[in-house]
Amino acid sequence: MAGQSDSELSLFSAEELEFTAEDELVEIVPNLKMPPLNLISGDFGPFTPQIVTKVPLWLAVALKKRGKCSICPPQWMSLEKLTQVLEAERDSQEMSEQLPFHYVEISRLLFEHARDNIPDVYMVRSLIEDIRDVRFHKVETDLEAFSGRTIAVKIKNLSAMEVNIVRPFIGRALQAFYKHDSPELIPDPERVSDSRPQVVNNAPRRQLRR
Amino acid sequence: MAKYYDIDDIITEEETVSVIFQKAASGVGIDPSAEMDFVEAGSKVELPFWLAHELHLRQAVSVNVPLCFNQKTRLEIQADSASVDLRSRCPFFYEFGCKMAPLVADRTIGFLLLSAFKSRYKEVLTKAHTASFEAGSKFWTILTKEEINLYETAQSAMASFKKWRIGGARFQIASILRRKRKPTE
Repeated sequence: MAGQSDSELSLFSAEELEFTAEDELVEIVPNLKMPPLNLISGDFGPFTPQIVTKVPLWLAVALKKRGKCSICPPQWMSLEKLTQVLEAERDSQEMSEQLPFHYVEISRLLFEHARDNIPDVYMVRSLIEDIRDVRFHKVETDLEAFSGRTIAVKIKNLSAMEVNIVRPFIGRALQAFYKHDSPELIPDPERVSDSRPQVVNNAPRRQLRR
Repeated sequence: MAKYYDIDDIITEEETVSVIFQKAASGVGIDPSAEMDFVEAGSKVELPFWLAHELHLRQAVSVNVPLCFNQKTRLEIQADSASVDLRSRCPFFYEFGCKMAPLVADRTIGFLLLSAFKSRYKEVLTKAHTASFEAGSKFWTILTKEEINLYETAQSAMASFKKWRIGGARFQIASILRRKRKPTE
Protein backbone atom coordinates (compact mmCIF):
# COMPACT_ATOMS: atom_id res chain seq x y z
CA MET A 1 0.00 0.00 0.00
CA ALA A 2 0.95 3.58 -0.33
CA GLY A 3 3.70 5.33 1.46
CA GLN A 4 5.32 2.83 3.72
CA SER A 5 8.38 0.75 3.27
CA ASP A 6 7.21 -2.82 3.57
CA SER A 7 3.94 -3.73 1.99
CA GLU A 8 3.59 -6.96 3.94
CA LEU A 9 3.72 -5.31 7.29
CA SER A 10 1.74 -2.13 7.00
CA LEU A 11 -1.88 -2.39 6.05
CA PHE A 12 -3.07 1.16 5.84
CA SER A 13 -1.61 4.51 5.07
CA ALA A 14 -2.65 7.51 7.12
CA GLU A 15 -4.81 8.72 4.25
CA GLU A 16 -6.70 5.44 4.16
CA LEU A 17 -7.38 5.65 7.85
CA GLU A 18 -8.67 9.15 7.38
CA PHE A 19 -11.00 7.75 4.77
CA THR A 20 -12.40 5.19 7.23
CA ALA A 21 -12.77 7.86 9.88
CA GLU A 22 -14.98 9.87 7.57
CA ASP A 23 -17.79 7.39 8.23
CA GLU A 24 -18.12 8.56 11.81
CA LEU A 25 -21.21 10.61 12.48
CA VAL A 26 -21.13 14.28 13.44
CA GLU A 27 -23.84 16.80 14.12
CA ILE A 28 -24.30 19.67 11.75
CA VAL A 29 -26.55 22.69 11.58
CA PRO A 30 -27.52 23.05 7.96
CA ASN A 31 -28.53 26.33 6.41
CA LEU A 32 -30.25 24.88 3.40
CA LYS A 33 -33.46 22.98 2.83
CA MET A 34 -33.05 19.56 1.32
CA PRO A 35 -35.00 16.28 1.35
CA PRO A 36 -33.42 13.29 3.13
CA LEU A 37 -30.50 11.55 1.43
CA ASN A 38 -30.91 7.81 1.10
CA LEU A 39 -27.44 6.27 1.14
CA ILE A 40 -26.30 2.69 1.54
CA SER A 41 -25.09 3.41 5.05
CA GLY A 42 -28.48 4.87 6.03
CA ASP A 43 -30.81 7.80 5.55
CA PHE A 44 -29.61 11.24 6.51
CA GLY A 45 -31.66 14.36 6.82
CA PRO A 46 -34.08 15.92 6.09
CA PHE A 47 -32.09 19.10 6.16
CA THR A 48 -33.89 22.13 7.50
CA PRO A 49 -32.11 25.38 8.37
CA GLN A 50 -31.16 25.69 12.07
CA ILE A 51 -32.27 22.12 12.88
CA VAL A 52 -29.42 19.91 14.08
CA THR A 53 -29.01 16.64 12.22
CA LYS A 54 -26.47 13.81 12.16
CA VAL A 55 -24.48 13.03 9.05
CA PRO A 56 -21.26 11.20 8.23
CA LEU A 57 -18.15 13.30 8.49
CA TRP A 58 -17.44 13.23 4.77
CA LEU A 59 -20.87 14.68 4.04
CA ALA A 60 -20.44 17.29 6.73
CA VAL A 61 -17.09 18.34 5.27
CA ALA A 62 -18.53 18.46 1.76
CA LEU A 63 -21.45 20.65 2.87
CA LYS A 64 -19.15 22.82 4.95
CA LYS A 65 -16.88 23.42 1.98
CA ARG A 66 -19.87 24.77 0.07
CA GLY A 67 -20.90 26.91 3.01
CA LYS A 68 -24.14 24.99 3.50
CA CYS A 69 -23.75 24.06 7.14
CA SER A 70 -21.79 24.58 10.30
CA ILE A 71 -20.35 21.58 12.08
CA CYS A 72 -20.94 21.12 15.81
CA PRO A 73 -17.68 19.83 17.23
CA PRO A 74 -18.17 16.55 19.09
CA GLN A 75 -18.53 16.53 22.87
CA TRP A 76 -15.05 15.24 23.51
CA MET A 77 -13.49 18.14 21.62
CA SER A 78 -14.37 20.66 24.28
CA LEU A 79 -11.68 22.33 26.33
CA GLU A 80 -12.85 20.96 29.69
CA LYS A 81 -13.21 17.41 28.46
CA LEU A 82 -9.80 17.38 26.82
CA THR A 83 -8.09 18.86 29.86
CA GLN A 84 -9.71 16.14 31.91
CA VAL A 85 -8.56 13.45 29.48
CA LEU A 86 -5.02 14.80 29.44
CA GLU A 87 -4.88 14.68 33.21
CA ALA A 88 -6.24 11.16 33.25
CA GLU A 89 -3.66 10.11 30.68
CA ARG A 90 -0.85 11.64 32.69
CA ASP A 91 -1.99 10.06 35.92
CA SER A 92 -2.11 6.42 34.95
CA GLN A 93 -0.21 4.02 32.76
CA GLU A 94 -3.49 2.73 31.33
CA MET A 95 -4.76 4.34 28.18
CA SER A 96 -7.90 6.32 28.78
CA GLU A 97 -11.03 5.14 27.00
CA GLN A 98 -12.71 8.51 26.79
CA LEU A 99 -11.65 9.36 23.27
CA PRO A 100 -13.16 7.84 20.16
CA PHE A 101 -11.28 5.28 18.08
CA HIS A 102 -10.57 7.79 15.31
CA TYR A 103 -9.84 10.86 17.40
CA VAL A 104 -6.63 11.77 15.58
CA GLU A 105 -8.26 11.69 12.17
CA ILE A 106 -11.52 13.37 13.17
CA SER A 107 -9.76 16.19 14.93
CA ARG A 108 -7.47 16.80 12.00
CA LEU A 109 -10.35 16.88 9.53
CA LEU A 110 -12.26 19.31 11.68
CA PHE A 111 -9.22 21.54 12.19
CA GLU A 112 -8.71 21.66 8.50
CA HIS A 113 -12.26 22.29 7.35
CA ALA A 114 -14.20 23.68 10.26
CA ARG A 115 -11.83 25.86 12.25
CA ASP A 116 -14.43 28.57 12.65
CA ASN A 117 -16.90 26.17 14.32
CA ILE A 118 -14.52 25.03 17.07
CA PRO A 119 -14.30 27.27 20.12
CA ASP A 120 -10.73 27.85 21.41
CA VAL A 121 -9.30 26.10 18.40
CA TYR A 122 -5.65 26.73 19.32
CA MET A 123 -6.03 25.37 22.83
CA VAL A 124 -8.01 22.36 21.62
CA ARG A 125 -5.42 21.62 19.03
CA SER A 126 -2.48 21.76 21.39
CA LEU A 127 -4.36 19.68 23.96
CA ILE A 128 -4.98 16.96 21.41
CA GLU A 129 -1.32 17.05 20.43
CA ASP A 130 -0.32 16.70 24.08
CA ILE A 131 -2.70 13.82 24.62
CA ARG A 132 -1.35 12.07 21.57
CA ASP A 133 2.23 12.50 22.75
CA VAL A 134 1.46 11.20 26.22
CA ARG A 135 -0.37 8.21 24.82
CA PHE A 136 2.35 7.43 22.36
CA HIS A 137 4.93 7.49 25.08
CA LYS A 138 2.85 4.93 26.96
CA VAL A 139 2.74 2.69 23.93
CA GLU A 140 6.52 2.82 23.74
CA THR A 141 6.81 1.91 27.39
CA ASP A 142 4.52 -1.04 26.78
CA LEU A 143 6.61 -2.19 23.87
CA GLU A 144 9.74 -2.25 26.00
CA ALA A 145 8.30 -5.27 27.73
CA PHE A 146 9.00 -7.37 24.64
CA SER A 147 11.31 -10.26 25.11
CA GLY A 148 12.03 -13.56 23.48
CA ARG A 149 8.83 -15.37 24.20
CA THR A 150 6.39 -12.55 23.71
CA ILE A 151 3.64 -13.83 21.47
CA ALA A 152 1.17 -11.04 21.92
CA VAL A 153 0.91 -7.55 23.27
CA LYS A 154 -2.07 -6.29 25.16
CA ILE A 155 -2.65 -2.58 24.98
CA LYS A 156 -6.14 -1.41 25.70
CA ASN A 157 -7.95 1.49 24.07
CA LEU A 158 -5.38 2.14 21.43
CA SER A 159 -6.69 4.40 18.71
CA ALA A 160 -6.63 3.63 15.00
CA MET A 161 -3.81 5.97 14.13
CA GLU A 162 -1.68 4.90 17.06
CA VAL A 163 -1.99 1.26 16.07
CA ASN A 164 -1.14 2.12 12.54
CA ILE A 165 2.05 3.95 13.44
CA VAL A 166 3.48 1.15 15.53
CA ARG A 167 2.15 -1.76 13.49
CA PRO A 168 5.10 -2.18 11.08
CA PHE A 169 7.59 -1.85 13.90
CA ILE A 170 5.83 -4.35 16.13
CA GLY A 171 5.49 -6.82 13.30
CA ARG A 172 9.17 -6.76 12.54
CA ALA A 173 10.24 -6.78 16.14
CA LEU A 174 8.09 -9.79 16.97
CA GLN A 175 9.41 -11.62 13.94
CA ALA A 176 12.97 -10.93 14.98
CA PHE A 177 12.33 -12.07 18.53
CA TYR A 178 10.64 -15.19 17.29
CA LYS A 179 13.59 -16.00 15.09
CA HIS A 180 16.18 -15.51 17.80
CA ASP A 181 14.27 -17.43 20.38
CA SER A 182 13.74 -20.52 18.29
CA PRO A 183 14.49 -23.73 20.21
CA GLU A 184 17.21 -24.80 17.77
CA LEU A 185 19.36 -21.82 18.68
CA ILE A 186 18.79 -21.79 22.39
CA PRO A 187 19.34 -25.07 24.18
CA ASP A 188 17.01 -25.90 27.03
CA PRO A 189 19.07 -25.37 30.18
CA GLU A 190 19.59 -21.73 29.38
CA ARG A 191 15.94 -21.21 28.64
CA VAL A 192 15.18 -22.05 32.21
CA SER A 193 17.84 -19.81 33.66
CA ASP A 194 16.56 -16.91 31.61
CA SER A 195 13.54 -16.27 33.75
CA ARG A 196 12.91 -12.60 33.36
CA PRO A 197 9.58 -11.32 34.54
CA GLN A 198 7.15 -11.23 31.70
CA VAL A 199 4.17 -9.01 31.69
CA VAL A 200 2.48 -10.15 28.57
CA ASN A 201 3.37 -13.77 28.38
CA ASN A 202 0.17 -15.72 28.17
CA ALA A 203 -2.09 -13.24 26.48
CA PRO A 204 -4.07 -15.42 24.09
CA ARG A 205 -4.51 -12.91 21.31
CA ARG A 206 -3.55 -9.39 20.56
CA GLN A 207 -6.38 -7.31 21.87
CA LEU A 208 -6.14 -3.81 20.60
CA ARG A 209 -9.39 -2.36 21.69
CA ARG A 210 -12.04 -3.43 24.02
CA MET B 1 14.80 -21.85 -0.86
CA ALA B 2 12.69 -18.83 -0.08
CA LYS B 3 15.78 -16.78 0.55
CA TYR B 4 17.64 -17.85 -2.57
CA TYR B 5 17.44 -14.46 -4.22
CA ASP B 6 17.64 -12.45 -1.02
CA ILE B 7 20.62 -10.15 -1.50
CA ASP B 8 21.18 -9.76 2.24
CA ASP B 9 21.29 -13.49 2.63
CA ILE B 10 23.88 -13.77 -0.11
CA ILE B 11 26.07 -11.09 1.46
CA THR B 12 25.75 -12.79 4.83
CA GLU B 13 27.12 -15.99 3.39
CA GLU B 14 30.12 -14.12 1.98
CA GLU B 15 31.35 -13.49 5.51
CA THR B 16 34.65 -15.30 6.06
CA VAL B 17 35.16 -17.88 8.75
CA SER B 18 38.35 -19.61 9.68
CA VAL B 19 38.32 -23.35 9.27
CA ILE B 20 40.76 -26.16 9.89
CA PHE B 21 41.05 -28.79 7.21
CA GLN B 22 40.53 -32.29 8.57
CA LYS B 23 41.50 -33.97 5.33
CA ALA B 24 44.13 -33.15 2.81
CA ALA B 25 42.76 -31.79 -0.41
CA SER B 26 44.56 -31.54 -3.68
CA GLY B 27 43.84 -29.57 -6.77
CA VAL B 28 42.27 -26.70 -4.90
CA GLY B 29 43.58 -23.17 -4.92
CA ILE B 30 41.66 -21.90 -1.94
CA ASP B 31 44.68 -21.30 0.23
CA PRO B 32 46.47 -18.30 -1.29
CA SER B 33 49.57 -18.70 0.87
CA ALA B 34 50.24 -22.23 -0.30
CA GLU B 35 52.84 -22.72 -2.97
CA MET B 36 51.05 -25.53 -4.68
CA ASP B 37 47.41 -26.33 -5.22
CA PHE B 38 47.38 -28.56 -2.26
CA VAL B 39 45.99 -28.16 1.23
CA GLU B 40 47.39 -30.27 4.02
CA ALA B 41 45.27 -31.70 6.74
CA GLY B 42 45.35 -29.49 9.80
CA SER B 43 46.00 -26.22 7.94
CA LYS B 44 44.01 -23.20 8.90
CA VAL B 45 42.29 -21.34 6.09
CA GLU B 46 39.85 -18.46 5.84
CA LEU B 47 36.88 -19.37 3.69
CA PRO B 48 33.60 -17.70 2.92
CA PHE B 49 30.75 -19.12 4.93
CA TRP B 50 28.95 -20.81 2.05
CA LEU B 51 32.02 -22.83 1.15
CA ALA B 52 32.86 -23.63 4.75
CA HIS B 53 29.30 -24.80 5.26
CA GLU B 54 29.41 -27.20 2.35
CA LEU B 55 32.80 -28.56 3.36
CA HIS B 56 31.61 -28.94 6.91
CA LEU B 57 28.69 -31.05 5.75
CA ARG B 58 31.18 -33.36 4.06
CA GLN B 59 33.27 -33.36 7.24
CA ALA B 60 36.29 -32.04 5.40
CA VAL B 61 36.77 -29.08 7.73
CA SER B 62 36.00 -28.04 11.25
CA VAL B 63 34.79 -24.52 11.81
CA ASN B 64 36.16 -22.11 14.40
CA VAL B 65 33.99 -19.57 16.15
CA PRO B 66 34.26 -16.39 14.08
CA LEU B 67 35.84 -13.27 15.50
CA CYS B 68 32.60 -11.37 15.92
CA PHE B 69 31.42 -13.88 18.50
CA ASN B 70 34.64 -13.97 20.49
CA GLN B 71 35.03 -13.41 24.18
CA LYS B 72 35.84 -9.72 23.86
CA THR B 73 32.65 -8.97 21.97
CA ARG B 74 30.67 -10.96 24.48
CA LEU B 75 32.05 -8.98 27.37
CA GLU B 76 31.31 -5.74 25.62
CA ILE B 77 27.76 -6.83 24.91
CA GLN B 78 27.30 -7.76 28.53
CA ALA B 79 28.66 -4.43 29.69
CA ASP B 80 26.71 -2.05 27.51
CA SER B 81 25.11 -3.73 24.57
CA ALA B 82 23.48 -0.61 23.20
CA SER B 83 26.72 1.15 22.40
CA VAL B 84 28.66 -1.75 20.92
CA ASP B 85 29.46 -1.13 17.29
CA LEU B 86 28.19 -4.41 15.90
CA ARG B 87 28.06 -3.10 12.38
CA SER B 88 31.83 -2.86 12.00
CA ARG B 89 32.22 -6.35 13.40
CA CYS B 90 29.68 -7.95 11.17
CA PRO B 91 26.88 -6.07 9.42
CA PHE B 92 24.71 -9.18 9.52
CA PHE B 93 25.52 -10.11 13.08
CA TYR B 94 22.24 -11.88 13.87
CA GLU B 95 21.69 -13.65 10.58
CA PHE B 96 25.29 -14.79 10.52
CA GLY B 97 24.99 -15.95 14.09
CA CYS B 98 21.91 -18.00 13.28
CA LYS B 99 23.79 -19.66 10.43
CA MET B 100 26.93 -20.25 12.46
CA ALA B 101 25.32 -21.68 15.56
CA PRO B 102 24.64 -25.17 14.16
CA LEU B 103 28.16 -25.41 12.68
CA VAL B 104 30.30 -24.70 15.68
CA ALA B 105 30.35 -26.67 18.87
CA ASP B 106 29.66 -23.57 20.93
CA ARG B 107 26.05 -23.69 22.04
CA THR B 108 26.02 -20.27 23.63
CA ILE B 109 25.87 -18.27 20.43
CA GLY B 110 22.10 -18.44 20.23
CA PHE B 111 21.82 -17.16 23.73
CA LEU B 112 24.27 -14.37 23.01
CA LEU B 113 22.24 -13.29 20.00
CA LEU B 114 18.99 -13.22 21.90
CA SER B 115 20.33 -11.28 24.84
CA ALA B 116 22.12 -8.82 22.58
CA PHE B 117 19.04 -8.26 20.51
CA LYS B 118 16.80 -7.94 23.52
CA SER B 119 18.78 -5.15 25.08
CA ARG B 120 19.61 -3.36 21.84
CA TYR B 121 15.98 -3.54 20.81
CA LYS B 122 15.06 -1.20 23.64
CA GLU B 123 17.51 1.38 22.42
CA VAL B 124 16.16 1.14 18.88
CA LEU B 125 12.62 1.42 20.17
CA THR B 126 13.19 4.58 22.16
CA LYS B 127 15.12 6.29 19.41
CA ALA B 128 13.18 5.12 16.38
CA HIS B 129 9.88 6.89 16.86
CA THR B 130 11.09 10.05 18.48
CA ALA B 131 14.56 11.01 17.33
CA SER B 132 14.86 13.43 14.47
CA PHE B 133 16.60 12.28 11.35
CA GLU B 134 19.90 14.05 12.07
CA ALA B 135 20.14 12.74 15.60
CA GLY B 136 19.25 9.29 14.38
CA SER B 137 21.79 9.09 11.60
CA LYS B 138 24.62 9.19 14.11
CA PHE B 139 23.04 6.44 16.13
CA TRP B 140 22.45 4.00 13.35
CA THR B 141 26.07 3.73 12.27
CA ILE B 142 26.49 1.10 14.98
CA LEU B 143 23.41 -0.94 14.18
CA THR B 144 23.41 -4.16 12.26
CA LYS B 145 21.36 -4.59 9.13
CA GLU B 146 18.47 -6.19 10.93
CA GLU B 147 18.30 -3.42 13.50
CA ILE B 148 18.48 -0.80 10.78
CA ASN B 149 15.53 -2.40 9.05
CA LEU B 150 13.57 -2.25 12.26
CA TYR B 151 14.61 1.32 12.87
CA GLU B 152 13.71 2.42 9.38
CA THR B 153 10.28 0.80 9.50
CA ALA B 154 9.49 2.81 12.59
CA GLN B 155 10.93 6.00 11.13
CA SER B 156 9.03 5.71 7.89
CA ALA B 157 5.75 4.96 9.66
CA MET B 158 6.24 8.01 11.81
CA ALA B 159 7.31 10.14 8.86
CA SER B 160 4.27 9.23 6.80
CA PHE B 161 2.04 10.00 9.76
CA LYS B 162 3.65 13.42 10.18
CA LYS B 163 3.34 14.11 6.51
CA TRP B 164 -0.34 13.32 6.68
CA ARG B 165 -0.86 15.51 9.73
CA ILE B 166 0.77 18.52 8.16
CA GLY B 167 -1.54 18.00 5.25
CA GLY B 168 -1.22 18.93 1.66
CA ALA B 169 -2.98 17.99 -1.47
CA ARG B 170 -5.76 15.63 -0.59
CA PHE B 171 -5.97 14.07 -4.00
CA GLN B 172 -2.92 13.25 -6.00
CA ILE B 173 -2.97 13.74 -9.71
CA ALA B 174 -2.12 10.62 -11.63
CA SER B 175 1.19 11.09 -13.37
CA ILE B 176 -0.40 10.53 -16.74
CA LEU B 177 -2.75 13.48 -16.25
CA ARG B 178 -0.02 15.83 -15.18
CA ARG B 179 1.89 15.38 -18.40
CA LYS B 180 1.71 18.31 -20.67
CA ARG B 181 0.15 17.83 -23.99
CA LYS B 182 2.63 17.56 -26.77
CA PRO B 183 2.60 20.59 -29.01
CA THR B 184 0.95 19.66 -32.26
CA GLU B 185 2.84 20.50 -35.35
